[in-house]
Amino acid sequence: MKQQTVLTKAQRANQRRLVILTLLMLLAAAAYLTVDVNFQNEKLFAYAMRLRIPKLAVMLITALSIGGATIVFQSIIRNTIVTPCLLGMNSLYTLIHTAVVFVLGSGSIVASNPNAAFGVDIVLMGIASTVIYSWLFRKTKYNVLYVLLIGTVLTSFFGSIQSTLLRVMDPNEYDALLASLVASFSNVNSRIILFSLLLLALLLFWLRRELALLDVLTLGRDQAINLGVDYDRCVGRLLLGVTLCIAIATAMVGPISFMGLIIANLSRQLLKTYRHGQLIAGSALFGMFVLIGGQTLVEHVFAYTIPVSVFITVAGGIYFLYLLLRERRR
Amino acid sequence: MKIHNLTKKYDGKPVVDTVSFTIPKGKVLSLIGPNGAGKSTVMGMLSRLIAKDSGLIEFEGQELTHWKSRELAKRLAILTQTNNVSMKLTVEELVAFGRFPYSGGRNTAEDQALIAQAIAYMELTDLKDRFIDELSGGQRQRAYIAMVIAQDTEYVLLDEPTNNLDIYHAARMMKIVRRLCDELGKTVILVLHEINFAAFYSDYVCAFVDGRIAKFGTVKEVMTKETLSDIYKVDFEVIEIAGKPLSIYY
Repeated sequence: MKQQTVLTKAQRANQRRLVILTLLMLLAAAAYLTVDVNFQNEKLFAYAMRLRIPKLAVMLITALSIGGATIVFQSIIRNTIVTPCLLGMNSLYTLIHTAVVFVLGSGSIVASNPNAAFGVDIVLMGIASTVIYSWLFRKTKYNVLYVLLIGTVLTSFFGSIQSTLLRVMDPNEYDALLASLVASFSNVNSRIILFSLLLLALLLFWLRRELALLDVLTLGRDQAINLGVDYDRCVGRLLLGVTLCIAIATAMVGPISFMGLIIANLSRQLLKTYRHGQLIAGSALFGMFVLIGGQTLVEHVFAYTIPVSVFITVAGGIYFLYLLLRERRR
Repeated sequence: MKIHNLTKKYDGKPVVDTVSFTIPKGKVLSLIGPNGAGKSTVMGMLSRLIAKDSGLIEFEGQELTHWKSRELAKRLAILTQTNNVSMKLTVEELVAFGRFPYSGGRNTAEDQALIAQAIAYMELTDLKDRFIDELSGGQRQRAYIAMVIAQDTEYVLLDEPTNNLDIYHAARMMKIVRRLCDELGKTVILVLHEINFAAFYSDYVCAFVDGRIAKFGTVKEVMTKETLSDIYKVDFEVIEIAGKPLSIYY
């Protein structure tokens, strides 16, 4: 099959922008790896790398999953000021993770092997979210307001069940669970990097084939069906992908609510296109830049006094207000 | 396209009740009737946007629901009333979507030629790099029609295409409908509120009342004083201008 003939001027401009973003991201990554590192002493250098490289990998994976998931989710629901977190996917993941340890106990392989635990979580998460969210979307006829309202209720519902489980849990099991529950950027869960990387690579490979479909979905349900898209099944499939990406991110660094919103909208603002290949790339690159740059600042300028998630939440909140006001003015 | 005993119920109440008719090929057919008569719902079911409860829709010798969605998209196009795009999309990019059923998003040189042709046909060449959300209502409607033309289907379904357009743009829209049929040989089915547009520009008219067909026939058969008064429960006068029956109601 012949490829798209010529790129338009706007597309080429966007490619340039993406290259610049990539360079910025690489610069931030280089800074993160090298600032305050002792290059003379080989042992100290190796030690620093052993600490920093996994963390860098975690940040790259997280940015990619959140960036991709948010863009896809926004396009499904056709609203650019929502994120998958609003549906309670984070809380669902934490709940599932807690429930697995609760049911199987701390002596099982699931509690001792983080990869096994992650695998079980991912499978359960996929099943639960397909049942809950696909049904929710179909039942509300893809009405954003209903979906978000129910999502908010679900968030606290999952949260409450999870904290109930924690309360009645055996203290030993709670202990085993705690380490993996309180993941954050200063305490990343780097033991599941390989697993996540593999899963994410599979997801991205699959997403490549769905990109054209995603472009069509942004025209709305009626147009998508008119153009021959099997809408319900297509949305179900994409939602599953979104959930798995959120699960990966939550497992590695815990919930970060505003992050997806910022990077997806920055990407949309910068690229002004409907092409999801570019939008997702832009969103992921922005995410990587924000996370790595932020973490570098936190570690070397603020000396860990302020966690990066605080920056993201504050900046994200302000940016969110700006987006709301801009929408209103239209 | 043959419709047999088509029925749709909302909460047990039939909005479309055992409707049967045959759509004449290569003609313009207008569905008219008061609000809530079920004409848009019929349109929705013909275009598979709304699931039917019972009845048969035979399209090219096969039940509509048995068609593969992608194959159907090459033969039947629908344009609904609400088309708001939240994305930054240019006219040309929108029209290019019309080729999706054929190319799956990877347009070939042949597709590009058809896209350019559709844009030219709708006189949008000057506007092709403009964003959809920056266009006027009439221009946007034309851009969507261009997309339908690029989709190159035999059947074109338009749900209230003149809605929200002023008289000039509405009349222009109806002339386009006529051209789709006369020049491109398409079968056009449209839902219309303006009876006189239906009378002036279509070949056949199907009038709905309370989910049933009140009258189906050629324009001259349906556009009579008695029939119209019956359907709309308003006094009508029908006069003839340029060989077409036009109505006045009060």
